[in-house]
Amino acid sequence: MTAQIISSIIFIVCLWLIFSEKLNRTIVGFMGAFLMVGLGKLLDIYDETQAIESMDFNTLGLLLGMMILVALLEPTGFFQFLAVWSGRLSRGRPVVLLVLLGTVTTVVSMFLDNVTTVVLIAPVTILICEILGVNPTPYLMAEALLSDTGGVSTLVGDPPNVLIGSAAGFTFNDFLIHSLPIVIVAWFSALLLLCYLFRRELAVRPPNADVVLKLNPRESLDDPKTARKVLIVLVGAIVLLFLEEQLSISPAFVAMGAAAVALVWVRPDIQDTLRRIEWGVLVFFGALFVMVGGLEASGVLGNLVTLLNNLHAIPPVVFGLILLWFSAALSAFVDNVPITIALIPVLLGLEAQGMNVQPLWWALVFGAGFGGNGTIIGSTANIVVASISERTRTPITSKLWNKRGLPVMLATCTVASVLYLLMYPLLSN
Amino acid sequence: MIKDCMKRNVYSVSANDSIRQAAALIVEQHIGLLPVVNEQGMPIGVIRLSDLLSLEMPDFFDLMPDLDFVHDFGAVETTRPSPEDLNRPVTKLMQPILTVDENCGLLRAYALMMKHNLYDLPVVSEQGAFVGIASLVDIAATILATWKTVGPSFP
Repeated sequence: MTAQIISSIIFIVCLWLIFSEKLNRTIVGFMGAFLMVGLGKLLDIYDETQAIESMDFNTLGLLLGMMILVALLEPTGFFQFLAVWSGRLSRGRPVVLLVLLGTVTTVVSMFLDNVTTVVLIAPVTILICEILGVNPTPYLMAEALLSDTGGVSTLVGDPPNVLIGSAAGFTFNDFLIHSLPIVIVAWFSALLLLCYLFRRELAVRPPNADVVLKLNPRESLDDPKTARKVLIVLVGAIVLLFLEEQLSISPAFVAMGAAAVALVWVRPDIQDTLRRIEWGVLVFFGALFVMVGGLEASGVLGNLVTLLNNLHAIPPVVFGLILLWFSAALSAFVDNVPITIALIPVLLGLEAQGMNVQPLWWALVFGAGFGGNGTIIGSTANIVVASISERTRTPITSKLWNKRGLPVMLATCTVASVLYLLMYPLLSN
Repeated sequence: MIKDCMKRNVYSVSANDSIRQAAALIVEQHIGLLPVVNEQGMPIGVIRLSDLLSLEMPDFFDLMPDLDFVHDFGAVETTRPSPEDLNRPVTKLMQPILTVDENCGLLRAYALMMKHNLYDLPVVSEQGAFVGIASLVDIAATILATWKTVGPSFP
């Protein structure tokens, strides 16, 4: 009992520190993991070996592998090239520009880290808007909102998906069958809604629209050779992810293998590549795994599941919808990674009790993914876009996000709920 | 010494002057830098061309690593600062000033300018009053002029 109480306190205090942003989340995670293992050793319920076992290599390996690919692609100017190309193709027509930039950001972030994508595409977006003489806000917000929405569709599109995929044993194809159709409808609803919400800004036809035709995408691609190599490896990795089941290989193996091949082929300055890896994210994930492992060892999660088991009276469909909106509401205000990591053991526990949790996993995927659109701090992409815009003459404010982003969150969650009900039999398989 | 090559006929603005006045003085005198001085003539800061032009620079300038592929700046070329911006006091744009004493050696002055990426260096008297400005060209040319004292071959 003492172990349960103390480990719960450690976990709750850490979550509070992470959510209140009083201390950097990676630092909190590090300390929390140390305390959890220390407590476990003191009471003889949890030790180093168990802590290491609780770190999900599938998640960490997949993230690290993809981060290395992004780190190799980043300095080539590929992302800049895509944005410049979109700008040119739009011929300066505002709605077309918004659709193109939104689509490019989404497609790239379905396979690569969407924060990096947004970080590299947002400055070019500001450039295109400034030479056209239009306000960049609608385009920047569309990039963040649409890439967050689109990322929900694939196993590698969003960190919560990597976590859920690993815990529930979902393959890359499972996401394409169950998540992609719903995300496509939600994505188009988000796009239409954005065009409506920003109708006033998008109605102004820039007088010198031709200026974008003088942008040269080829010149914006600094290192086409390396970009081509990394993209070939990336496509190869995606093909292998499709064949994950047939070849019985894990996504982490594919991602790490792709990273190894790309590193050998490109032979970059390895120090520079490693500096671009987001080690803070990886350490944070690892630390959260160790903490959740401690909670599990102390029996807290078992008790929580027994408590939740009384919810059996609620019809499973309703339970799924409640989970979707509950995780969405939480994700709007806090990072969706800790929410997902905290909810995963609960769902695993319910499964152990004999509940069919398949549809619940998907509810969590949609809730955690779409919820982040709601506020300026809801997802890392939102925070990044807002902080880039703060360096311009037209900063995006929290108030503006509530007016434009919150409706997008509500719309995507509503679309997801309706389709969740319609596709419930498929999602239960 | 720097006092031998600096311009003594120099201009400055006071802390109460507006950005508009500072810009007008720079245009009129065709100079690259204006020290901001207090009532005693002591420099308290500096306004450079780049500080003034930052009002007109597009936002993407600081965000983009390179701009080689942008062949036309379009709407940005005709954007002008707002009247409110121009009526603000120079202290809003003023940067910390780096000065040297009039007895400063030329190579030291040149090295400081290289390290701080400066093209003009304000010079102060022993009492700290602003007395002159030496440009990068003034200093470098004076140093190079000494080369003619170097013989044509090894002695």
